[in-house]
Amino acid sequence: MAIVIQPYRQEHEAAVQEFNRGLRAASDPNLVFSQTAVPRWLPPANDNPVWNEFYVAVDGSQKDGSPKAAVTVRGAYALKQEVLFVRGKGLHHIACYHHPLSTGIVDRSFASVGALLARDALARQPLLYALGMGGMERPIAKMLKALGFSLTPIPFYFRVVHPARFLREVRALRTGAWRASLMDIAAASGAGWLAIKSAQAATSLRSRSPKASGKVIVEERAEFSDWADELWALVKETVSFATVRDANTLRLLYPPNFSSDIASTRTLRMSRNGSAIGWAIIGQRRKDAKFGAMRVGSIVDCWALPENASTVIRAATRALEKDGVDLIVSNQSHGAWCGALEKAGFLKGPSTFIFAASKELTKLLQPTQGNPASFHITRADGDGLPVNF
Amino acid sequence: MRLTRYDEVRAIASDILGVPAAFLNASSSPDTIESWDSVQHLNLVVALEEKFGLQLSPEEIEQMKTLGDTAKLIESKLQTSPR
Repeated sequence: MAIVIQPYRQEHEAAVQEFNRGLRAASDPNLVFSQTAVPRWLPPANDNPVWNEFYVAVDGSQKDGSPKAAVTVRGAYALKQEVLFVRGKGLHHIACYHHPLSTGIVDRSFASVGALLARDALARQPLLYALGMGGMERPIAKMLKALGFSLTPIPFYFRVVHPARFLREVRALRTGAWRASLMDIAAASGAGWLAIKSAQAATSLRSRSPKASGKVIVEERAEFSDWADELWALVKETVSFATVRDANTLRLLYPPNFSSDIASTRTLRMSRNGSAIGWAIIGQRRKDAKFGAMRVGSIVDCWALPENASTVIRAATRALEKDGVDLIVSNQSHGAWCGALEKAGFLKGPSTFIFAASKELTKLLQPTQGNPASFHITRADGDGLPVNF
Repeated sequence: MRLTRYDEVRAIASDILGVPAAFLNASSSPDTIESWDSVQHLNLVVALEEKFGLQLSPEEIEQMKTLGDTAKLIESKLQTSPR
């Protein structure tokens, strides 16, 4: 056999760098796998409830079948091992399949590698999911569908904070010179500002609800502690399933000292009458061509009882507006959080953020798997916000 | 007329790859068929497994370099583990 999938070890690092060079040169410069065998984010450690594992597809033979002096990496993928709470069915170990990359992207002789990676991941963890993927039509989504995964889009919401800048910068809408000029005129004249603000206000008015009593205190908390455990225990029964968000897990997912040159997050804790009622993770997105020079804020993750979702979203929105972002985005599945975003004036946009569940996971999640309004998935699930490679 | 194993595999590949069977031969591979990418390779694997009621191992998936290789592999699998 020529290609063997095995855990990524230090001795593979040089071959992975060579693999990355090949992908970068022939396709998207952003397609790179971890240069280090030990994950920067969520490295495996004793007793940790969530961690990343990396695997590489190693080709140890030459075209004529004779052994090579040095191995060549033909593919790689990551598994984020974590724990899922399913209401009425308890806790289950699952894994997120992420960052699958194959030489097949640039050399069709290796078209089989993508299939090998996906099937290897399924063999290691049948309760497997993937998240994001850029839409149903992307190769990874199609491949998972071929393997029997069920695919569900997770709603996408956005709120324009600075309409003029948004109209000038948002590349996805500025297709064609005619359309771009029209948007420049709209931006300069104020017509675009009026249209966007009106749409957001209308969404907000349609979804108003009575305010809860008691003043809400919002504070930035460096670390999750007992209060987060209490919230996890209180809120989890209101969702059909969610990956565990207790204090121990959250400390690993959002370490206070984690530094990344391309993503940063802040934790907001909301309390009323001295008791924590929710938390949110907010951050600024890395530069992305489709957003031009805009500063894009993200409500990455959040947790609260459904009746407190609006309070949490409003506080997170205000904090990001205070930071001076031009646009705020969020992916939320649960109906309470979608409603809260609409109440805060967010508009719903087309979603390319797909939740794909393996056959075994789909069975476990029945009967609610296809109904995103009942479960809790956010942008923080899957490979998480920080781009860790 | 009884179809050979190769004919059966070629018919499945034709359906998956969206290429008329007449345009496929034993040497057809991802290098020669435009639509034979990694997604279609997996679709082909899954379709063959369903059609012939067998499970292909990673080693076997990797052996599917050409349509001819694939037909030989299926034939050999069916002979060693009859349905």
